[in-house]
Amino acid sequence: MSFQLMAINPHYHHTSDQLNEELLIIEAAKLNPERFAPLYDKYYKQIFNYLYQRMEDKDSAFDITGQVFLKALINLNTYQFKGVPFASWLYRIAYNEMMQLFRSQKDKRAVNADIGDLRFICEENEEPFFEEYIPVIKRLILQLDNDDLQMVEMRFFEKRPFKEIAEILDITEVNAKVRMYRIIEKLKKSLSKLKI
Amino acid sequence: MTPNFNIDRPKVSDEEIHKHKNFDELVKQFKQQSIQKAKLDNSWWKNKKVRYSSVIAGTVVICTITYLALFNSNQKQNTNDKIITQSNPAPAPHKKFISPPSNKLSIPYSTYTISNTKGGEIKHSTASTIKIPKKSFVDKNGKDVIGDVTIEYREFQDKGDIIASGIPMNYDSSGIKLNLESAGMFDIQGSQNGEAVFIKPGSNLEVELASANNENRFNQYYLDTIQKNWTYLKKDQLLNPKEIMAITSEVRHSGMDGKENQKKLELLKNVVTVIIPKRLDSVKIVYTNKVSSLPKAKEPLKPSQPTGKPTFYIDGSQEEFPELAAFDKVIFEVGDENKNYTKSMHDVTWSDVKVSEGPLKGKNYLLTLTYRSRVEKLIVYPVLSGADFEKAHKKYEQKFLEYKSLAEKRTADEKKIMAEMEAKQKIYLAEIDKNNRAIEALSRQRDLNTLNNSFSGMNNATRAMRVFSISKFGIYNSDCPHTLPEGIIMSPQFSLNENGKIILPDLVYLVDHTGNLVFNYASAQISNIRYNPASINSFVVFIKNKMYLCDKNSFTRGLSKNSKFSVTELPESADNLPDFKKTLEI
Repeated sequence: MSFQLMAINPHYHHTSDQLNEELLIIEAAKLNPERFAPLYDKYYKQIFNYLYQRMEDKDSAFDITGQVFLKALINLNTYQFKGVPFASWLYRIAYNEMMQLFRSQKDKRAVNADIGDLRFICEENEEPFFEEYIPVIKRLILQLDNDDLQMVEMRFFEKRPFKEIAEILDITEVNAKVRMYRIIEKLKKSLSKLKI
Repeated sequence: MTPNFNIDRPKVSDEEIHKHKNFDELVKQFKQQSIQKAKLDNSWWKNKKVRYSSVIAGTVVICTITYLALFNSNQKQNTNDKIITQSNPAPAPHKKFISPPSNKLSIPYSTYTISNTKGGEIKHSTASTIKIPKKSFVDKNGKDVIGDVTIEYREFQDKGDIIASGIPMNYDSSGIKLNLESAGMFDIQGSQNGEAVFIKPGSNLEVELASANNENRFNQYYLDTIQKNWTYLKKDQLLNPKEIMAITSEVRHSGMDGKENQKKLELLKNVVTVIIPKRLDSVKIVYTNKVSSLPKAKEPLKPSQPTGKPTFYIDGSQEEFPELAAFDKVIFEVGDENKNYTKSMHDVTWSDVKVSEGPLKGKNYLLTLTYRSRVEKLIVYPVLSGADFEKAHKKYEQKFLEYKSLAEKRTADEKKIMAEMEAKQKIYLAEIDKNNRAIEALSRQRDLNTLNNSFSGMNNATRAMRVFSISKFGIYNSDCPHTLPEGIIMSPQFSLNENGKIILPDLVYLVDHTGNLVFNYASAQISNIRYNPASINSFVVFIKNKMYLCDKNSFTRGLSKNSKFSVTELPESADNLPDFKKTLEI
């Protein structure tokens, strides 16, 4: 198993002082919603990008982003600090809201990637990349189940480190690595059988 | 439904994302939903009552309405910002009115839990005491709160606290502009399960505020966030020295002094951010090298028989590609994917023929045929026929068995090495977690120590307890109003370090070190600042979240240079309140 090193994402990763500061804002916002503003400003773009990466329609992505923050504010009293950035909670709300939208068929699930991301998948699987492979790689990715697709999107398309993936999915870092290892094995098998 | 797969879809610009942000709208929606929810709860309550006893319900409703009417008329005079937040959908005025200049300098609340049935006494770390009579709290409907109430309390004792709090110290006394000199200020809030609670009329809380100033010239004020002004309450009431000594002797201090605490914090931060990550990296490098040095098994090429497609024989290809060496008389079959292939290619006497690696490494090859300027590329597959195939196939079977056993051994070895690595990393990660928890505890202790030290560092003669009787939650201050500095008007210009670039501040604080006095000026007021030349002054300047300091010496130098003040950006290490105060010489 070989995992490429990924830089820490400064928009997500927090020092312990930053976590404390965030916690104080949350506690203040529980008493007064106006105090929620710093968290709204800090995470709006991140949450929108996360949603739009998985959705077809831009306007729906903006609508859901608004819904995510409203839900977060309404349920702030139930939020429990687990020593990870507040964003991980927002991502989970975002995922649930998005899946609900897909179930109501108001928008369609989409997978968005750059050519570079597909090349990255081949490299991670120690396979050469040729443009001719693109349709096959797309097909392989679309065959993955929802959980595995989430992992591939976070790891290969959004380049998130395992620590961050683990925190967002509320699993351990080791568990995230094992799951990724299994997906890579699966992809490797299919990629090695590639016939143009 | 299968998702759509988009490649290289255009990204949404930051500007467009920013346009959709609307925090005021979010808060409005939140409040509307809260009101709807409250209405629903109310109708449920009514139905239930009617179902069980209409007569009793009628009586109860009449009593409740009468009580609420009386209660609300009292509350109107005692409105605090929390009530406004619940009932008024317009943006809360205190959002801009109290605006901390930097989110790095937050002053944490201390949280206490008190039973509303029993009441009790809270002893804060600075020796301040909050006395709570039993059944002092009511909910938004005026009903007695059942169970525990959360009290959040924090104090602002010196100039550093005042700057960090963002609480304006300007005071408008019947049109006369004044500035308040504080002998101590506190912010107290109450809630139950996140819902604001209120102090019952007639059940005032008593706050004995520990003050670093024992002078008897101060008054008590309440910050009215609606009127955006301080409201005078009464002349300050001081406890006698004997009572103070009894209280202050109860203040407990941690065994660790500030320096020791800071040293330990730095040590732990170094372990978490430098030492352990280095160890993690080196473990990763060592084990990755171990894995890559394992003997690699290369799958032998399985010989194939011709399928009837056109073929080429290329002399010397076995020497160039070792995987073909096992095959004698290999020929190359043209793959179906070659749309450019024509039979006429066999009629050309090509001047140069090259075989290179194909898209499927080890399985196909790229054949480049050149004649003058004509270059043709074909993807070809190695095949063998007749006896050549039989011979090659036997060789292949033998090589494949060798390959299989080597590959299995490598996989097992690799798994073992990776498991060892993950076990080692797990230990380091656990160590990081443990140290992070220790850092968190020490940071909290450091903030508490600062508050303790600022108070316990004084002798008994200078200590004082100021007694407040409070009927609503909010911000209270023991203050003495001062006229704005008399003296010279200046239009300061700020530059980064000596002869550096000019900076345009968003907010400037003029700190008067002869008292607990801080004057704040917004960007529009900076061209007209009065200062007292007889005082010792300094400036704290904010641009967005960055802090700059013009210390006492630089202030004096700036005055001699036509109000051109040199400022220094405060280092990242001064982004916490204790270090901020130290840098400010407070």
